[in-house]
Amino acid sequence: MFDILDTVLEGARAKGAPDVEVFAERSSSRRIKVYRQEVEQLTAAQRRGLGVRVFSGGAVGHAYTSDLGDAALDAVVQRAIDHAAVSDSDEFAAVPEPAGEPADVHPFDVRLTRATDERRIELAMSVEAAALAADPRVKTVEDTMYADGDGEVFIASSAGVRGSYRANQCYAFAYVLAEEDGQVETGYSYTVGRALEELDPAACGREAAERACRLLGARKCPSMKAPVVLDPFVSAAFFGVLSSALAADAVQKGRSLFAGREGRQVAGEILELVDDGTLADGLDSAPFDGEGTPCRRTPLISGGVLQGFLYDTYTGRKAGRGSTGNGVRGSYSGLPGVHPTNLVVSGPATPLADIIDGMERGVLVTDAVGVHSGANPISGEFSVGISGFLIEGGKLTTPVREVTLAGDILSMLTSVRALGDDARWVPGGSILTPSVVIDGMAIGGT
Amino acid sequence: MEDRDSLGLRLEDGRVEQTSGGREVGAAVRLLSGEHTYYAYSDALDEAGMAAAADAVAAAVRAGDGGSAVIDLGPVRSDPGRHAVQVPPETVAIARKAQLVRAGNEAARAAGGEIVQAIVGYGDTRQKVLIANSLGDLVYDDRTRTRFTAQVVARRGDVIQTGHEAVGGSAGFELVDEATARVVATTAAEKALTMLDSRPAPVGAMPVVMANGFGGTLFHEACGHGLEADAIAKGASIYAGKLGEVVAAPIVSAYDDGSLPNGWGSQAFDDEGVPTQKTLVIEDGRLTGYLYDRLRAREAGATPTGNGRRQSFRHVPIPRMTTTYVAPGDATAADIIAATPRGFYAKSLAGGQVEPASGNFVFGVAEGYLIENGRITSPLRGATLVGNGIDILMRIDMIAADFDVKTGVCGKDGQGVPVGTGQATLRIAEMTVGGTG
Repeated sequence: MFDILDTVLEGARAKGAPDVEVFAERSSSRRIKVYRQEVEQLTAAQRRGLGVRVFSGGAVGHAYTSDLGDAALDAVVQRAIDHAAVSDSDEFAAVPEPAGEPADVHPFDVRLTRATDERRIELAMSVEAAALAADPRVKTVEDTMYADGDGEVFIASSAGVRGSYRANQCYAFAYVLAEEDGQVETGYSYTVGRALEELDPAACGREAAERACRLLGARKCPSMKAPVVLDPFVSAAFFGVLSSALAADAVQKGRSLFAGREGRQVAGEILELVDDGTLADGLDSAPFDGEGTPCRRTPLISGGVLQGFLYDTYTGRKAGRGSTGNGVRGSYSGLPGVHPTNLVVSGPATPLADIIDGMERGVLVTDAVGVHSGANPISGEFSVGISGFLIEGGKLTTPVREVTLAGDILSMLTSVRALGDDARWVPGGSILTPSVVIDGMAIGGT
Repeated sequence: MEDRDSLGLRLEDGRVEQTSGGREVGAAVRLLSGEHTYYAYSDALDEAGMAAAADAVAAAVRAGDGGSAVIDLGPVRSDPGRHAVQVPPETVAIARKAQLVRAGNEAARAAGGEIVQAIVGYGDTRQKVLIANSLGDLVYDDRTRTRFTAQVVARRGDVIQTGHEAVGGSAGFELVDEATARVVATTAAEKALTMLDSRPAPVGAMPVVMANGFGGTLFHEACGHGLEADAIAKGASIYAGKLGEVVAAPIVSAYDDGSLPNGWGSQAFDDEGVPTQKTLVIEDGRLTGYLYDRLRAREAGATPTGNGRRQSFRHVPIPRMTTTYVAPGDATAADIIAATPRGFYAKSLAGGQVEPASGNFVFGVAEGYLIENGRITSPLRGATLVGNGIDILMRIDMIAADFDVKTGVCGKDGQGVPVGTGQATLRIAEMTVGGTG
């Protein structure tokens, strides 16, 4: 693959564009859906392509192609040059320079390459079977999925960046419908790893079923201002939205609620938030990011005080500092953007049972609908639909649904009062978080 | 087989940033065996890549009988005039497209001194697909889409508000000129400025008036997803088994129309080669139809409705909406507001989510107002609308004639496809508003 990258670098130089970066990937993946103990869908995929960034006097052009033939390579270089010609110049835009040795991270497990379709199907079926067996009120498992991916990325630039690595991962997921007295409730769970041996299909199916069944009988509760406990799934969704405001591009462009608050108290003082692209068990760990910058650990909030932001090369230059290794690329067709790797929420842990035991009146939130559409990361305001349980006199009492939880992210962060002892990885953004207790939230019901 | 060429321009901070575009070609093979679907794709459109895809599906069904059949594909069908493109975007210089986003930025900034940021985008795509199947269909569809978007941020002290507006269509560069670009950006800027004056939305149940256009997201989320035949087949929809039954107030009729001329959600054929059509889904409050792809239609003994869509060759086709809308009535928006002593006016929605199984949905409201004594008064921030599909449709008690369609991208099973959502101004007699006030 590096010979293709070199062809592109040389082609660009020949066309009078010496400052160039090329990013290529090739990958294969499997996705299996089962329904009622039959394979519903099996997808096998091969994917490859490359993207070219041309830097011309501070103006950036990007182009991509899935065709790696000579004519297509020539065309993609020309397009990147043409795109740079219409982009506006920016003094901080330049080819990323080499930024040190890759992080000591090995996101590849050879065991996954030995997985057969038979084993994959068996695993997906055992997830569904566990969900169906967990409770007679499970009506159906609407979605049971197993998926894995194995990909190699390559980067080379005229500034001397050169690297590649291979990464793989697998996961299984179940989405369960439970029904009782005509009422339907839903629940889901995941299991993730880098080898089939690391997945726990029985626990995944069982938990999805439990999360659905325990909500049966849920109804609206009265409107109130009360403390809430966000379980790890819900907490991860909120920290996912919040993390976009910790990206330096949002800060520099005036659309972050954290702008100008570095060094200030932005959260309850027990709260620690770290971005760490080097964790052995983090699914988004890698030796380097989409610009070749080594991944690292970056403290964001410590003792409730905002420590800093996430940077790629461009935003780092603009701020007079280096990249934090957060120039993330979704695929070869995308430009690098500032995104978290693995986010870790931590702090002194209190047993979850003690937290609930000590609460006179509140809500345990186990599902939030509309966090991505109902939360505005620019204004920080959010209002989402939630399901969960009323906490009364230190006990979980009735399940609730069709109520809203509203507020703004900054007030919510500063009202974080305690953290549970139930930290777990939640995929979808790769976030490790326990349950989070927040005081004085607005619950909208009857 | 698919050949897609895209261009995207994005302006922020007054600068056209990192202009990007490219070409992706690939092929996918789908094999249906009983209830099973086997799917393989490759980015390499050479013989080796295509053979690898075919081998992958063949290996998955090695239990099959190994027979062979010769399929006569006949002539290629296509319908090039269906969503006519007057100015193919690829014939227009990129510099002219850049002018549009610059014009949008100027217009947004000119809307007021409190505008602190404008993100203006232009995109065009030409997607050519060739679909052949063992039924003997051979369809070619050449699709051009163009879209212009503006997101504007306004700030006063610690209060930050945003406004969003977009136009899009299955059409060429004729869709957007500088004047259109300015209108879109100004509209977005005015939304953001208006919301600076907003106060927190109240909490509780009240009448809700949904404005035309963006309000169609309500129907898309509250009902449309539940009509997609995969949810029906799995009993994962509140509309399953309810054909012919009353699911909405008698004044409600609704359609899904993939053939709407030049619509953002329109195509001549769906991604399985079935011609798109206008499907009546609710007639005078009664459920009359579901949205089918080929697979679910075959299972149900129904006729495909042209709703088998996929994001790209990398995705399995599934039942999806195209342009979904509630048919207009004969009231006026002014009548509806005047007939509402106290309520919530949702002018523009931020997006929403639904659980088709329970019908529960949530929307964020991007621009909302209080209605007092039959008049629109204070702007309200931070509101969400929460409800249940059939409940809400049953409570629609007034519909105006001011029909409009807005554009969006709908996500399902990890696939995003362009959709239109439409409606006229309408009132829901009671709905839960969640806010902080």
